Amino acid sequence: MKARKEADEAVILTDVPARRRENKFFTPRRRRMLTGWLTGVLFALPVILGVLIFTYYPAIQAFVSSFTKDGEFAGIYHYETIFVYDPDTWPVFGNTLLYALVSVPFSLVLGYFLALAANFKVKGIALYRILFYLPVVIPGVASGLLFAHMMASLNSNGVFNMILHSMGLGELPFFEEASTSMLSLLFMSVWTTGGSMIIWLSAFKNIPSTLYEAAKLDGANAWDCLVHITIPMSTPLIFYNLVTGVIGALQCTTPLVIVGDRFGTAGGGAGNAIYFISVKILNEFGYTFYEYASALAIVLFAVVGIFTLILFKTSKWVFYGEEK
Amino acid sequence: MKNTYLTENTAPTENSVLTESAAPAEHAVPTENAAPGGHAALSNERNRSARRQQLTVRIFQYILLTVLAVFLCLPFLFMVFQSVMPEPQFQAGQILPTSFTGLGYVKLFSEHNYLTYFLNTLVIVGFNVIAMPLASSFCAYSFARLKWRGKELVFACVLSTLMIPGVVTQIPLFLMFSSWGWTNTPWPLTIPTLFGGGAINIFLFRQFMRGIPMELEEAAKIDGANAFRRWFSITLPLCVPILLFVAVGAFGSSWGDYFQPMFYFTDPKKFTLAYTVYKIVVLDGVKVNSVAMAAGVFMSVLPALVFFLLQRKLIDGIMVGAVKG
Repeated sequence: MKARKEADEAVILTDVPARRRENKFFTPRRRRMLTGWLTGVLFALPVILGVLIFTYYPAIQAFVSSFTKDGEFAGIYHYETIFVYDPDTWPVFGNTLLYALVSVPFSLVLGYFLALAANFKVKGIALYRILFYLPVVIPGVASGLLFAHMMASLNSNGVFNMILHSMGLGELPFFEEASTSMLSLLFMSVWTTGGSMIIWLSAFKNIPSTLYEAAKLDGANAWDCLVHITIPMSTPLIFYNLVTGVIGALQCTTPLVIVGDRFGTAGGGAGNAIYFISVKILNEFGYTFYEYASALAIVLFAVVGIFTLILFKTSKWVFYGEEK
Repeated sequence: MKNTYLTENTAPTENSVLTESAAPAEHAVPTENAAPGGHAALSNERNRSARRQQLTVRIFQYILLTVLAVFLCLPFLFMVFQSVMPEPQFQAGQILPTSFTGLGYVKLFSEHNYLTYFLNTLVIVGFNVIAMPLASSFCAYSFARLKWRGKELVFACVLSTLMIPGVVTQIPLFLMFSSWGWTNTPWPLTIPTLFGGGAINIFLFRQFMRGIPMELEEAAKIDGANAFRRWFSITLPLCVPILLFVAVGAFGSSWGDYFQPMFYFTDPKKFTLAYTVYKIVVLDGVKVNSVAMAAGVFMSVLPALVFFLLQRKLIDGIMVGAVKG
């Protein structure tokens, strides 16, 4: 303590303005604020570093390399290739958009009906909910393998076809032909509607029952309640599900697991009918066209961004409650 | 046990709706069984018909539920049956087996080194299951509870990473990790988890923590607990539902991930289960049906088991996440 005091005095004696400045800067309040700031940053540091190292840096790198060819700047060379020369581009983007636009609303609506059933007030409903949700927890690679097997042709003992055949309905080509591939993929997604069922169930539970009581007093029937209370009150969740669903669907790689490389292009399916952007990027990368794959990835990023923007811009229908 | 007490009573109060109370949506289902009073005899008559109607509705509900459950679970039951079906029966086009064999499973382990893949997977999954909830709750604590300048901006930057498709960063990441000599090691699939555990998880944790009353923490602060202690001893025990939810999510995503190992593993000794299933069954095409199906079953048993054991808390957790999301 004594030494400190002496030092302080020495400072006073020699350089008064400097000390005052220092004092002004490190008032106890400021010091506390600084510690508080440091604590806050320290807690957030892992994610700050993580985001910089594992997301922003690679993303920027992908962006930069999409403008280079063999390590040299090449301008929009790859983008020109994508939009002008690559015959895969339009089918691939078309397939992906079609899949996103159909599968997301489809699974939302289907999930809604499933949730209505899962919301019955009967004994043992918890067990039914487990059973409805079970297909969602099965890993994609296992269910892909299973459905590819079940949707095989009659000759390969595909079960769906065996059932259809025994009912005298002939045979469906499923993934064997281009015309039915996309529909088969949608058909497969029926089994994972349990995922959006959960979203709906939680929406149901979060709606104050007073709303329904009031509506009932006013003579509303079940349909009125559904249209004027349940759906408007769950719009934030629908919106959340819509955004995450569309982003997920645009990056879908499921065909990789289902059709493998049986049809020439890995994950392309018969006639490349279910060839998606992410799978195409992966294939290009596999052929060591790293920079071209990066350019494709950037285009995919732009597509995702545009869709998210459209969804947010048209989100007036989302009802966030009175208080916000 | 004090913790569970706290969880039940003080954790997000606004979420008590989750505890199977008033379920408004039953209005959405037509149930007209209200029998307003009248004359005694009449009401008796009405009661009886109302009860009968109710019974019919019940039966109808059960039939519908059962049909849906059977429809949704049948493919997976079928997978189990096919995995124990002897090959000649499959060749003959039988749908259900008439006798059983465990040959598919035996072959899986004897011909395909499954034990190694299983252990490799367990290491990665085990690491992520523990690291992901801890890392994301740690960072979320900063965004939910600590006050510091620039917090909102940083949080926005973190959330904005959700917009970037994984495939955009996948290739540069692969090049980066391989330049670090991380190929054929579990590091690319584990170490990044330590850095925040995923933006969406941080978001979920932050939302959940905001629902926890501040009083407890303020009391601890007055008692001299530093931020680390307040996070670890006060907040974390109150976050059990969301911790569990994130942990199971981590389990599911690393257990079923065949996409990333595709980049990083070239040495068959390092393969994970999901990648093996993709590689040997989908790409190389296992000839024997029961082996392929056994691989599928083996992949699915553990997730199904985890889900069965934790389903009640998990569905609540999913709901918490979903509601807040």
